[in-house]
Amino acid sequence: MPELADISNDTVRRELGEFVTRADERERLTDLFAAAAPALQELAAGVIEGEHELVSELTGAALAAGTPALEVMDDGLIAGMAVVGIKFRDGAIFVPEVLACARAMKAGMAHLEPLLSASGIEPLATVVMGTVKGDLHDIGKNLCIMMLRGAGFAVVDLGVDTSPDAFIEAVEEHRAPLLGMSALLTTTMPNMGKTIEAFIDADLRDEVKIMVGGAPVTQEFADDMGADGYGKDAVACVTLAKRLLGVGASVGG
Amino acid sequence: MAADPPQPIDPESYQERLDRIGSLFASMIETATELSTHRCPYRDRLDRCTAGFGCRNQRWPEGKDGPKVCGGDDRLDYRSAWETA
Repeated sequence: MPELADISNDTVRRELGEFVTRADERERLTDLFAAAAPALQELAAGVIEGEHELVSELTGAALAAGTPALEVMDDGLIAGMAVVGIKFRDGAIFVPEVLACARAMKAGMAHLEPLLSASGIEPLATVVMGTVKGDLHDIGKNLCIMMLRGAGFAVVDLGVDTSPDAFIEAVEEHRAPLLGMSALLTTTMPNMGKTIEAFIDADLRDEVKIMVGGAPVTQEFADDMGADGYGKDAVACVTLAKRLLGVGASVGG
Repeated sequence: MAADPPQPIDPESYQERLDRIGSLFASMIETATELSTHRCPYRDRLDRCTAGFGCRNQRWPEGKDGPKVCGGDDRLDYRSAWETA
């Protein structure tokens, strides 16, 4: 049975030794990493440390060296993220670190896109996401984006304080069938309605489904302002996105 | 020696990976939701504030070098300290 000492990468070995304390999890991850190629252990370490530039570089190098894409995912990107999940659950890291790690994973996944496309696998759809005008709170939106990307959507992140015009431009530019708006403040929630009105004025409302969310937002508020759907959290956001677009549970061409 | 051209990715196998990622992330959202009831989500593991907006709990570190730190005590609702204008 493999032991921690059989893992060649110092960072991965240290992380498992220090942070993965449940016997079943440590055994499973030790087995996985001990069998993984050193380059993929290094890739996983990059994900664990949230180093997006390094993860991008190492993923590109692994694929260029002929490592199968699914092996890169299994032993590098997903394996690293599994350690991140354990550290987060156990209080060793917090939301900002998780988002940095997710960003690193996304940087690696970006290298898979040409291979996916060549294999007939396209994103489920493109989603434009942003926090509404006047609102600078982005954690909820960022968690939704993490979930959407993880589910196979392509996401255009407009960041915070997004004007109705910026939403419209992005939807048109990326031909996105779905828009997600977030607001944390009761004072900025009405800007969701104003954005929807802007889409109506631009004669684009029928071209895009609009979903909304954020701490003060309710289903009733979403209905009142004419949104197509409301998601109470980032998990619900993915379910809602799939339902609004009528896309199945799986990716495909 | 040049590497072999990449093999096509099997859609079902790829979907299995997405499902695993989705499951991992869903667990993280559950943790984040529970955590957000008592700890500001913008506060990192080193107690630095990562918010892009003002908050009354923000403090300058000694010497004012580096990012602001969170001075919240996690006993009050941190959201009442966030600046809204």
